[in-house]
Amino acid sequence: MTSKKNELSIRFCGIAGDGIVTSGKILAGACAGIGLEVMVNDIYSAEIRGLGKSTTTVRFSTSKVYSMGDGIDLLIGMAAKESIAEVKDVKPGGGIIYDSSTPGDITEENSLAAHIPSEAHGYGIPLKWLANEASGTNRGRNLVAMGALCFLYSLPPDMFIHRIKTLFTRKGEKVLEANINAFQLGYQYCEEHFPLNHPFEVKEGLSPRQLISGNDALAKGAIECGLKFFAGYPITPATKIMEITAKELPKLEGWCIQAEDEIAAISAVLGASFVGKRAMTATAGPGLCLMSEMINLAVMAEIPAVIVDVQRGGPSTGLPTKVEQGDLNIALYGGAGDSPRVVMAPSTSEECYTGIQLAFDIAEKYQTPVIFLSDLFLGQRIETVFIQETIERDRCTRKKPSPDQLNNYLRYKITDDGVSPLIVPGEPGAFYTITGLEHTIRGTPNYESEVHTMMTAKRHRKFESMVVDLPRADILGDKDAEIGIASWGSTIGAILEGMAIAREEGVKSKLIKSIMIHPQHEDSFRAFFDSCKRVIVPEMNYQGQYAALLKSRYGIKPMEIHIPAVNPVSPLKIAEKILEANHGLSK
Amino acid sequence: MKYVIIGAGAAGVTAAKTIREIDTSGEVVILGEEGFSPYNRYMLTDFLCDSIKEDELIHTSASVFKKIGVTFRKGEHVKAIHPQKKCIKLFHNEVVHYDKLLIATGGTPGLGPVLQPFQKHIQRYYSLEDICLLKRKMPSIQKCIVFGEGLSSLDLLCGLYNLEKQIVYIIRGTRADWDLVEPEFYGELHEFLEEKGIEIITEDRVISIEKSNHCFQVLTLKQRKLTADIVFAWDHYKPNITCIKGTGIEKKLGILVDEQMRTSEEDIYAAGDCVEIYHPGLKNYWINFGWSNAQEQGEVAGKNMAGQRETYKIQKTIVFNLKGKSLRARWWR
Repeated sequence: MTSKKNELSIRFCGIAGDGIVTSGKILAGACAGIGLEVMVNDIYSAEIRGLGKSTTTVRFSTSKVYSMGDGIDLLIGMAAKESIAEVKDVKPGGGIIYDSSTPGDITEENSLAAHIPSEAHGYGIPLKWLANEASGTNRGRNLVAMGALCFLYSLPPDMFIHRIKTLFTRKGEKVLEANINAFQLGYQYCEEHFPLNHPFEVKEGLSPRQLISGNDALAKGAIECGLKFFAGYPITPATKIMEITAKELPKLEGWCIQAEDEIAAISAVLGASFVGKRAMTATAGPGLCLMSEMINLAVMAEIPAVIVDVQRGGPSTGLPTKVEQGDLNIALYGGAGDSPRVVMAPSTSEECYTGIQLAFDIAEKYQTPVIFLSDLFLGQRIETVFIQETIERDRCTRKKPSPDQLNNYLRYKITDDGVSPLIVPGEPGAFYTITGLEHTIRGTPNYESEVHTMMTAKRHRKFESMVVDLPRADILGDKDAEIGIASWGSTIGAILEGMAIAREEGVKSKLIKSIMIHPQHEDSFRAFFDSCKRVIVPEMNYQGQYAALLKSRYGIKPMEIHIPAVNPVSPLKIAEKILEANHGLSK
Repeated sequence: MKYVIIGAGAAGVTAAKTIREIDTSGEVVILGEEGFSPYNRYMLTDFLCDSIKEDELIHTSASVFKKIGVTFRKGEHVKAIHPQKKCIKLFHNEVVHYDKLLIATGGTPGLGPVLQPFQKHIQRYYSLEDICLLKRKMPSIQKCIVFGEGLSSLDLLCGLYNLEKQIVYIIRGTRADWDLVEPEFYGELHEFLEEKGIEIITEDRVISIEKSNHCFQVLTLKQRKLTADIVFAWDHYKPNITCIKGTGIEKKLGILVDEQMRTSEEDIYAAGDCVEIYHPGLKNYWINFGWSNAQEQGEVAGKNMAGQRETYKIQKTIVFNLKGKSLRARWWR
């Protein structure tokens, strides 16, 4: 007898109106409700309207889920034609649910069943008929399929019913009843026709888990650490952050405005920050391009600001609904002149929450723009997290001038740490010029070489002094391993799972990860690289942007994995690279 | 050329392999109703007793099909055959065209009108799915009732005995002996079973099964009231030929075929436990159930479908061949 499964990956595939996203929500909620670790990833077409294909993949496990893994255990094909392309992802021994209640004849080419490989199990279920029986309409096919999968893996139906009630109660008793009926019919059909199920190991007594997306966590973290002003222009995949701030900030006497474009948004953010408010914008790659000029102004005028870039595939409009880590270069270098800025990249939803708070602290204390590089996979995926609510703590605040200093206020006073006292204009004694032009310590425009050299050094000195406030890099994995991996952002999850796979093959590796891209605790990176015989740098872009940074900064010669991604990185691919590196070592 | 084979048992798989050996370029598709790769049905009891693992049951894996270029689709139910259009229709309305079609749907144990109403209380013992489900139940089962005759029941009794279950065996006749049993058992089987501790109830039959709490109440024709944790029962073994309904393919109990395994419809062949073939000795059509026979018929059908001319040799004696695997050997385990 095969042992119970302790990890599953389920994918719903359909077109608009099939309830794909709702299915993911119900399944994820049910699994989190019984204490399982869950991660959900939605993939949909860039077109907002129409019958575009969409998929939701829910991966759940009794142990920590770091990535979407490789392959799926069950494909639920709500739309046959669209689902055929997903069949290749079904693991050997996995299953495929297809609708057997097609009204007319279908050809082999368009039949999902005809594409099921012999290594997989096909479950023909009359989704449409059963949905009709439950509600009198075709709606609810997804709930029939949900009931089917609940039986197929012996998951507790009560938790699903609870989630269905949570989602549909507000739509009225009739709708709720129809959905519950659909679920139960799917369950019963499978019980009768496919009694040989594959039980999932459900442990009793686990506490329900909180589900949150990276974008949710980020917005929550920003609001809880004092965000008072948000300005943005809607763009996939960052829009959710604006939606949350639009809802929450007014309750806290804050503001959220939808600007006419990204330039206006960042301008408003700088204005709000200029008058003392913690301010943020959120955009994607195309928006970050537009914001470049104003980010330069923030560097020059030393205005705190947090700019979130939820990266998607590029360049230009690119791939609006696909993930890529291609904006590192523009975040690091996208400005005229010597334009230093802080760049951070969280790798989990927890880090979105805590990291954005750190971003504000750095921005406020060091009077600098901070670019916070999330990405589509991290921002939109939903996962079980443990977020400790922000409690009272000593927040980094702006360095204020002393009363004496206000008698002769020097906005850009030269200091050891490069940080000058900052006061909201209009307060007594706070009269100064702010400009994008090079300026004297008083803020007056000046183009003398000596002044420019002095002020440039001052602006860069902040980056040296802020290092003491930055978290050190984490070293994960086998500390004595000779193969080291350095990476950033959401790729980290797949790397951790890839390392575990390689470990099972007997090959040890370790990972250095830091939310800080620039600046970094360079000594910890140097020590890490010195301890490695081989370094691998995987990332989701074609150029190897992080690898280029590490090479120039630390002089390493890594094995690079450049994945211009449309889907999250595969742990297996990482494992293969680790094994390849090990093979090279043993030669 | 597209060859479609309905059924992934011994006859169907043998036919597919035979076709592939002769015609290396034609498309060969097998449609199996069960959700497993083709397996050795005669070894199911070994699997029940954990003598072998599930993968040891499989005789043709997905990778083998891939290697020889045969498309194997499992879990597919054929609901109609349209000989005029040369296509079949699957349960989900997919239309599959063929140039040559083989029906190799086998046979299954069935229930007569007396037991039919109690079907949901009767444990099936025929397919790999049945055995997998039974294995899950086994730890909580102690007392078993078996009602049915023939080698299949002997095989089941053997398995239950090896699993140390308490067995009540009900038969219609006066003794548990049958003509088909291997010679060394003939005339001694009844006593042999009793020596093993199996309680045999003769000249009776099950007429009612009711569920009560976690067990079953069984009533016999002679008003015996028995209790068991599980009840196995079957009345007969018959060919599966529902898919030919409405086709005009000639049939009696099974599909009638000639010596080349051709049915009455052009380009449609049949082989294995689902067919009846004329036996000159008996002067009648008969069903030659059994694994080796199914393989032999499948090979003949495959050759003829692929353009060769092969004739099925009628066996002179009726032999139920269990692949040379002695039932007696199991008792000595």
